[in-house]
Amino acid sequence: MLEVRQLYKSFGSEGVLRGIDFKVNKGEVVAVLGPSGSGKTTLLRCISFLERAQQGELIFGDLRHDMSHIGKRMIRQFRMQMGFVFQNFNLFRNMTALRNVMEGLTAARKMPRREAEEIAREMLKKVGMEDRADYYPDQLSGGQQQRVAIARAMATNPKIILFDEPTSALDPELTGEVLDVMKKLAEEGTTMVVVTHEIGFAREVADRVVFMEDGLIVEEAGAEEFFRNPKKERTVQFLRRVLTGSEAVGQDTSAG
Amino acid sequence: MTERLANILISAFPDMLAAGFKITIPLTVLSFVFGMVLALLLAIVQVANVKVLKQISQVYIWFFRGTPLLVQLFIIYFGLPSVGIVLPAFPAAVIAFGMNVAAYNAEAIRAAILAVPVGQTEAAYLIGLTYPKLMIRIVLPQAFPIAFPSLFNNLISLLKDTSLASCITIVELMATAKQIVGRTYESLALYIEAAIIYLIFSTVLTWVQGFLEKRLGWGTKDVKPKRRSGLKAGI
Repeated sequence: MLEVRQLYKSFGSEGVLRGIDFKVNKGEVVAVLGPSGSGKTTLLRCISFLERAQQGELIFGDLRHDMSHIGKRMIRQFRMQMGFVFQNFNLFRNMTALRNVMEGLTAARKMPRREAEEIAREMLKKVGMEDRADYYPDQLSGGQQQRVAIARAMATNPKIILFDEPTSALDPELTGEVLDVMKKLAEEGTTMVVVTHEIGFAREVADRVVFMEDGLIVEEAGAEEFFRNPKKERTVQFLRRVLTGSEAVGQDTSAG
Repeated sequence: MTERLANILISAFPDMLAAGFKITIPLTVLSFVFGMVLALLLAIVQVANVKVLKQISQVYIWFFRGTPLLVQLFIIYFGLPSVGIVLPAFPAAVIAFGMNVAAYNAEAIRAAILAVPVGQTEAAYLIGLTYPKLMIRIVLPQAFPIAFPSLFNNLISLLKDTSLASCITIVELMATAKQIVGRTYESLALYIEAAIIYLIFSTVLTWVQGFLEKRLGWGTKDVKPKRRSGLKAGI
């Protein structure tokens, strides 16, 4: 349903993505893992045209276009069918939670207010934020803001939702509520790409895992296969490091 | 203080105050409104990176901030008639003051727009907003409270700068004071009296600024409008 072919992106002379081929099927949850600086976030930002690739082709639904030479109107067509969840939520701070969720419907898709409000309330309910509809982002915790941001991304009924490290800016005790919402979305069959450091989430929820390093996809496999039987040396190293790390934390808390 | 001087000061007060209300304040308000509209355009073509217009805007700001207001006023009132553009004094003053304050306001607005986190712009594009909608619905409502203190500063400066209008035959507060000095030769006392009236006006403006900032949460980092009822209802 979404496919990227031969994607190249560099900032200055530094190649951040060096020939990425990436594919997501309908209803699939793909987790993108990898160390910092591996290009995972840039991959999502190129797909959503927040960064302009030097080379590449994007095929999405019935749209297909070169990623480097593309006009505003075409970009907007792609984006109208995508949802995006940022690391830093990026809620509109001059609007309540409800208005944030409605905005894509009323301002961008010219939906009548009443209809949009109905959908927005339904989305807020889905993320467990219906009783905070009239709150401004500043009055919400990070986890709550991210749940509203997810509701905003879902409201426009996108074909795919891209998550850019959705829990990285949160206090550890707040990540759970966001991951729970995402799990629910996955169970409902939402097509999702999740760039994340949450190995547990990837293991439990993802159908497929893509492991990136140095602007390349190093390994790609079904989630179960990926964690049980990683093929590449580099993947094994990475998993060993992050997994012992999280286990150590687990022991600490149980001891304390 | 002699009785004569006291009488002069007492009888001058209502005259100066009247000139203030009839000329100084309308001149300030009209110039500022004109200056705000122009400033908004100047700022937006810069942040939107509109070719040519951006450069024009920069040159405009460079000129109007870099030359004395009195010179600008003279060019418009005394200079333009020689190329066939004859303006009455009051409109000439509104144009000169408005164009001048626009340069300063444009910089305040531009800086405020840039202070709105870029992440919100990205989010707006991703839910399908176009640039004008992004500006009107997301960026400007947040930029305005940030720019507010600087804009109000410029307003207070403008109020005082309108005294320059006395140089192009407009009988505003300062010119009224001059006329009374011409009749009575009490320059020290009368100019101090004029200063006090300016001070009263600018003090009131400062209060208005404080009131608006507190009431609407403007000019603070906190950009959301205060809505306590919503907060309570939610809990």
